[in-house]
Amino acid sequence: MPDHRAALRFALGRNGEHTDVMATRAQVMALLDSGHSVETAARRLDLAPGLVYMIATGRPADDSDSPHPDELRGRPVLPGGAQHLVNPPAQNPTRNQEVIDWVRERAARELRGSG
Amino acid sequence: MTDIRLPAPSDWPVLRQLRGTDRLGRGAATKSRGSAALTARTHTADRVVKSVCPYCAVGCAQNVFVADDRVIQIEGDPDAPHSRGRLCPKGSASLQLTTGSSREQHVLYRAPHAADWERLDLETAMNMVADRMVATRRDGWEWEREDKRVRRCMSIAALGGATLDNEENYLIKKLLTALGIIQVENQARVCHSSTVVGLGTSFGRGASSTLPADLQNSDLIVLEGSNMAEAHPVAFQWVVEAKARGATIVHVDPHYSRTSALADLFVPLRAGTDIAFLGAIINHVLTTESDFREYVVAYTNAPTIIREDFEDAGGDGLFSGFDPDLPGYDPQSWQYQDAFVAAAAGQRDQEGNLPAQGPGGEGQRREDAGGEPQMDLTLQHPRCVWQILKRHYAGYTPEMVQRVCGVPQEVFARVCELFVANSGRERTTAFVHGVGWTQHTIGSQYIRAASILQLLLGNMGRPGGGVMAMRGHASIQGSSDIPTLFDTLPGYIPMPHAHSHHDLEEFVAGNAANKGFWGNMRDYTVSLLKAWWGAAATDANEFCFDYLPRLTGSHSTYDTVMEQIAGTVKGYILFGQNPAVGSANSRMQRLGMSKLDWLVVRDFSLIESATWWKDGPEIESGEMRTQDIATEVFFFPAAAHTEKDGTFTNTQRMVQWHHKAIEPVADQRSDLWFTYHLGHLIRQRLDGSADEMDQPVLDLTWNYPTEGPYDEPNAVAVLAEISGWRADGELLSAYTELKDDGSTSCGCWIYCGAFAEGVNQTARRKPASEQNWTGGEWAWAWPANRRILYNRASADPEGRPWSERKALVWWDAEQGKWTGHDVPDFQADKPPDYRPAEGATGPDALAGDDPFIMQADGRGWLYAPAGVAEGPLPTHYEPQDSPVRNALHRQQRNPSRQVYDHENNRYHPDPGAPGADVFPFVATTYRLTEHFTAGGMSRWTPYLSELQPEFFVEVSPELAGDRGLTHGGWAMIVSARGVVEARVMVTDRMTPLQVDGRTIHQVGMPYHWGPNGYARGDSMNELSAMSLDPSSHIQEVKVLTVDVQPGRRPRGAQRHALVTEYRERAGITAQTGMAP
Repeated sequence: MPDHRAALRFALGRNGEHTDVMATRAQVMALLDSGHSVETAARRLDLAPGLVYMIATGRPADDSDSPHPDELRGRPVLPGGAQHLVNPPAQNPTRNQEVIDWVRERAARELRGSG
Repeated sequence: MTDIRLPAPSDWPVLRQLRGTDRLGRGAATKSRGSAALTARTHTADRVVKSVCPYCAVGCAQNVFVADDRVIQIEGDPDAPHSRGRLCPKGSASLQLTTGSSREQHVLYRAPHAADWERLDLETAMNMVADRMVATRRDGWEWEREDKRVRRCMSIAALGGATLDNEENYLIKKLLTALGIIQVENQARVCHSSTVVGLGTSFGRGASSTLPADLQNSDLIVLEGSNMAEAHPVAFQWVVEAKARGATIVHVDPHYSRTSALADLFVPLRAGTDIAFLGAIINHVLTTESDFREYVVAYTNAPTIIREDFEDAGGDGLFSGFDPDLPGYDPQSWQYQDAFVAAAAGQRDQEGNLPAQGPGGEGQRREDAGGEPQMDLTLQHPRCVWQILKRHYAGYTPEMVQRVCGVPQEVFARVCELFVANSGRERTTAFVHGVGWTQHTIGSQYIRAASILQLLLGNMGRPGGGVMAMRGHASIQGSSDIPTLFDTLPGYIPMPHAHSHHDLEEFVAGNAANKGFWGNMRDYTVSLLKAWWGAAATDANEFCFDYLPRLTGSHSTYDTVMEQIAGTVKGYILFGQNPAVGSANSRMQRLGMSKLDWLVVRDFSLIESATWWKDGPEIESGEMRTQDIATEVFFFPAAAHTEKDGTFTNTQRMVQWHHKAIEPVADQRSDLWFTYHLGHLIRQRLDGSADEMDQPVLDLTWNYPTEGPYDEPNAVAVLAEISGWRADGELLSAYTELKDDGSTSCGCWIYCGAFAEGVNQTARRKPASEQNWTGGEWAWAWPANRRILYNRASADPEGRPWSERKALVWWDAEQGKWTGHDVPDFQADKPPDYRPAEGATGPDALAGDDPFIMQADGRGWLYAPAGVAEGPLPTHYEPQDSPVRNALHRQQRNPSRQVYDHENNRYHPDPGAPGADVFPFVATTYRLTEHFTAGGMSRWTPYLSELQPEFFVEVSPELAGDRGLTHGGWAMIVSARGVVEARVMVTDRMTPLQVDGRTIHQVGMPYHWGPNGYARGDSMNELSAMSLDPSSHIQEVKVLTVDVQPGRRPRGAQRHALVTEYRERAGITAQTGMAP
């Protein structure tokens, strides 16, 4: 006999102990309005952060749809985007100390007025 | 037998819904056990690496998902303002491109006369190439040519693809220039070099003035010479966006496509006649006085008075200064009255660009002129540009458009109405063009014609306006900016010519404008020389300016082919480029390579340029035998974009960083690695040399930090060198900080600031949702992160937006600076009423209402007094191959075009001449969504090969009927250069046109094919000729004439015999089509 409840728990709760009750938008927004981040609200509701974001905004956290900009007007926006709610950590370093040191060494050696 | 399991009754959706708490089925009940078990392809990923698609120049941002150091998925990055998460079929298939089994992993070597490849270890191969570079360079060294110092090596050449990172191009140009090699070329030559000339001479910079996302603000978008929906599908979303906002879309093209389907008006025209079409719109605007007069008078050179000895191209189609013996022009008479102005692009040193066999040495005499241009603000002076323009285009009438282009007058009238109705204070029109405009013997003037129109209508520098040049490759813009091109140094500083420039002072004086930001050329040049030669570059030795090899005319990739055939060029390096099928007259390309001593091919797979010696068309036909070919061939497998750090510069001048996700395997390496380590091996061999020819190599700054298991040079360090630093080690923020005294270093002045404050600005990825439409905090755009060029012109001379609806930047008197939605393309604190002091030079000479800050007079050039080889105004000439006489001028073809006399590069007879009807049809060419250029990346990708498996030719039902062609059958297409076969597509997309009283049939063929890979077929370039635009040296492959016959082409020796028979029947000789 298939355990459909287990499957639903897998879908909705990360820890598998939840029931098939889905949080409402009102519940999600209440938590967010009270100062919770998407991540902490997700923990409180035992939902995946991306799902909480979707309930709150109506949009998938990976932004896999492309609404018209007019449709986005007035929707809550997560600073820095929402991809981190569903994707593994992103790598996008913008600083490199080794290069800074190398630049300083070259500048000192090669440029006029470098003393 | 498939095991089909039906869901248990308890899993039925309605029961699940009713039994649970989600009775309305709006949430949890929609999940089944099956769907709950589904996971995203990315769920096993342990990291996401930010990257950029390596295909076209839209530069779609990518998320590369990595698990256990393997790339498992590549998706669009939805945060990107320009691509919004979308990828086209090619970008979507880039996982297969980078991880597929068709990529070679090992170095291969073909010994002279050998029948097959052998394996070689990477180190041995690198040493062998270094040995050959050193020896061949020494053998081919030239100190002087015709008593002029040249200090160069003519025996080695290189050709790169435009998917090279900027950092790779930078090191290639740096190393090869230090070696004295001048024949350094790139796909950027054969793709958009005429855009650089056209836009650069008109506005000051040879790059797109705007960005695709700004098209959403257009009221009218005219796509001409571009099938944007298929060639740049992700950028086309902004055209769709504009249409949704009420914009009108017009598509002008010989070939109906998905772009046409989305357009409100499709205008089919005869390929090669766009200047006649655009010239007639210019004439309409002038004669109806529909121009934006305040803009025209204030911001263009319409009022400027031209020299008395200038003569316009009238009935004969020739401007003053034409010398039929060159053939070409002495451009002196085109100059402004009493003032010399240098061009910001194109043939800046026109003296040096005069053909070497001509008298030369005259050119522009700057010392003969001085002072300010004379102007007549009433536009009435008979020699002012406005009046010259009116006279020049007076003959470009709607009747002529019908006769020349085949466009009915009522359709043309509708286009004119749309232009006028959608330009002015409140409305703006944008042009979008691709290589449909560039690849002509007069391509530079196509772009100039559009530029003139946009200036007349006041559409430059404004939201929804501009000229959007849709470049075709991930970094083809970057390949122009940081060029692997023979005639420029980084940042469009010209390569010095041997004719006149003996020292730095003369070089700057001969190329730089007195006014505007090119007036600081010495700062840019000295900072570049310091970046390349560091401590060795001193004031005393003119910062090693003498280390730069000198040009003596055109050394383009097509000139290189002739030098290969002549035996001058003996070594050739291909960095991700496939000329054996991708360059015009591919037979000539292969013949050239067969004469080499050695050839290096760096690519993913065994492209045709790597294997022509064993399976090329000439081997199959028996014209060449493998055992007779002495060329050594080295194949080095390349790293993919996911396997290296670096930047691509996309079509909107946006420099985007892509991060390495994983290491390449086996012998696969980046071009950065190859160039850097090759440089070291060469330097080791030259170490201790006292020979003066070796000093530029030994003095070169060539020690970059390395990293990883292969000692990969740190691409961030290369970017930092490109961006520049000061003597105190601080990174520079802007090119205005550069000095000419040796206290600053900057590898490419227009990229100065890309590494400002020690931060990789090109890696910035602020989501689109948090910024305006220009996306100013996503990556970094040159110059100075300005997204819409010349945006000072979005405000009136007093600094107020021309209208609120089209506001972009404006003068804030209270704060005393320019402000707005974009970074002002103007000195931020220069007020609109600023007037330069007498004798001011450089930027200080620009007034507060001079918006074109790179121009020698601060104005947009309706008339180009310098820079364009074939004249100051675009003039309609017929293509090299044309079935039609020039109805507008007696001159049939561009009199200055470059043609090559070779038995395998014959041209077709003049229209009406005996034999002209042997090649009666006009052929045009285009790109498909699913393939890429010469196919080196896409034909080895199974998904893409399956989507577009075969080369085809599109013909109209009328032509199919005339020639007995059947849909899905085979056709043979023949020119004087070659014969190919293609599947026939009978379609209304090709429209027969009524031209001057006769029916002209046009056929369309995509590029992309060749005999290797999964999707195989003949290459269109077997048919095309080497005939070039003289200003940019781009080839004409957008229009040629052909014959089309049903059936397959001959095999073996019969293939070439058929072409010979066609030539004989047409009476073609060495003189055919060669006359000026």
